[in-house]
Amino acid sequence: MSVDPMAYEAQFFGFTPQTCMLRIYLAFQDYLFEVMQVVEGVILKKLDKMPGCKISPSQVRKCTEQFLLFMKDRFDKLFGKMEEMLLQLVLSIPKNVLLPEDKVHEQFPYSPEQFQALQEEIRQLQLQCRAEAAAEQALRAELEEQKVVKAELEKILQWFDDLEKIFREQGIGSLQESLAFLTQSSKKLQVVLKEVEQKSEKLKLRDKLM
Amino acid sequence: DGGAGPAVPAAPGRAQVFSTVVDTFLEKLVAAGSYQKFASCYHCFYKLQPQLTRSIYDQFVSQLQSSIKEEIQEIKSEGNLEGLFDSLDKIVEEAKDREEPAWRPSGIPEQDVQSALVPYLLKHRSYLRQVLREKEEENRKVAESVLAGRNKIVELQQLIQAHRQAWQ
Repeated sequence: MSVDPMAYEAQFFGFTPQTCMLRIYLAFQDYLFEVMQVVEGVILKKLDKMPGCKISPSQVRKCTEQFLLFMKDRFDKLFGKMEEMLLQLVLSIPKNVLLPEDKVHEQFPYSPEQFQALQEEIRQLQLQCRAEAAAEQALRAELEEQKVVKAELEKILQWFDDLEKIFREQGIGSLQESLAFLTQSSKKLQVVLKEVEQKSEKLKLRDKLM
Repeated sequence: DGGAGPAVPAAPGRAQVFSTVVDTFLEKLVAAGSYQKFASCYHCFYKLQPQLTRSIYDQFVSQLQSSIKEEIQEIKSEGNLEGLFDSLDKIVEEAKDREEPAWRPSGIPEQDVQSALVPYLLKHRSYLRQVLREKEEENRKVAESVLAGRNKIVELQQLIQAHRQAWQ
């Protein structure tokens, strides 16, 4: 015969029903004995006051024992019935009943495997978040580098633009044109110089002949 | 009583049943320990003092009853039994439509506590999913900027190259 430990009931009441019934049994039994003791005491006292009484204390004791034995027997039987009724009707939690504090087990009936799977999923998500954070760092680092490089390149371009602006402002036009012009001019100059030289030679000769 | 309403007499609550069962026990006990029985056990004394016997018996009954009732009262108030009985009645009433046996502790606390953690884990998971989504979106945009930046740099380099050649 297996004994139901009534652990779920104990969770609710704060004591096991059997303990409760035992406590009641012992208390009631004690009172029964106590009252009988008082009864016997009173009878003995009364007998004391009665002169010439032939009843001995041990006789009274026998009476008490007789009555008590009878009462104890009835008491046990009646208490047994009471205990059964109380355990069944009052101190038990029906099988289909879930205590409110355990609601989460009904809402989230996760087996150990499902629970582990959930934990694993979370671990993976954490890893992915970390990877994304690392990627963000790398991307932003490159953006910073690009800024520096762009600035340098733009400086160079600006230098070229400034140079060309200067040339234009000086009325020289494009550099190629200016260089070509210079080259032409110097060629022309050379031609003119040659002419001037020749002319001056001619002049010098004429002077000599005069 | 004015309301006709669907007044179905409710089944007695646990507190009521408890009181009734205890009272019945007491009644039957006292009935068993009847005056006849008492007198027959204490026959010698009864013969001498029948009236006294009756009075002692009455005291015995009243004393026993009051002791027992007092004890029950103490037990009820100590464990707040009436309150517990009422809550249990409510809980049972709310579960009246469900037929399958409910969850019971498995006896392995580490396993049972897992279900208590589940709601928090689920919240954590959805939070992580959201954070991940946002980060991925953000990074996508930054990656686009990075690519655009690279293109821009190539452009600038090409421009510079063009200028250089023009100066040759």
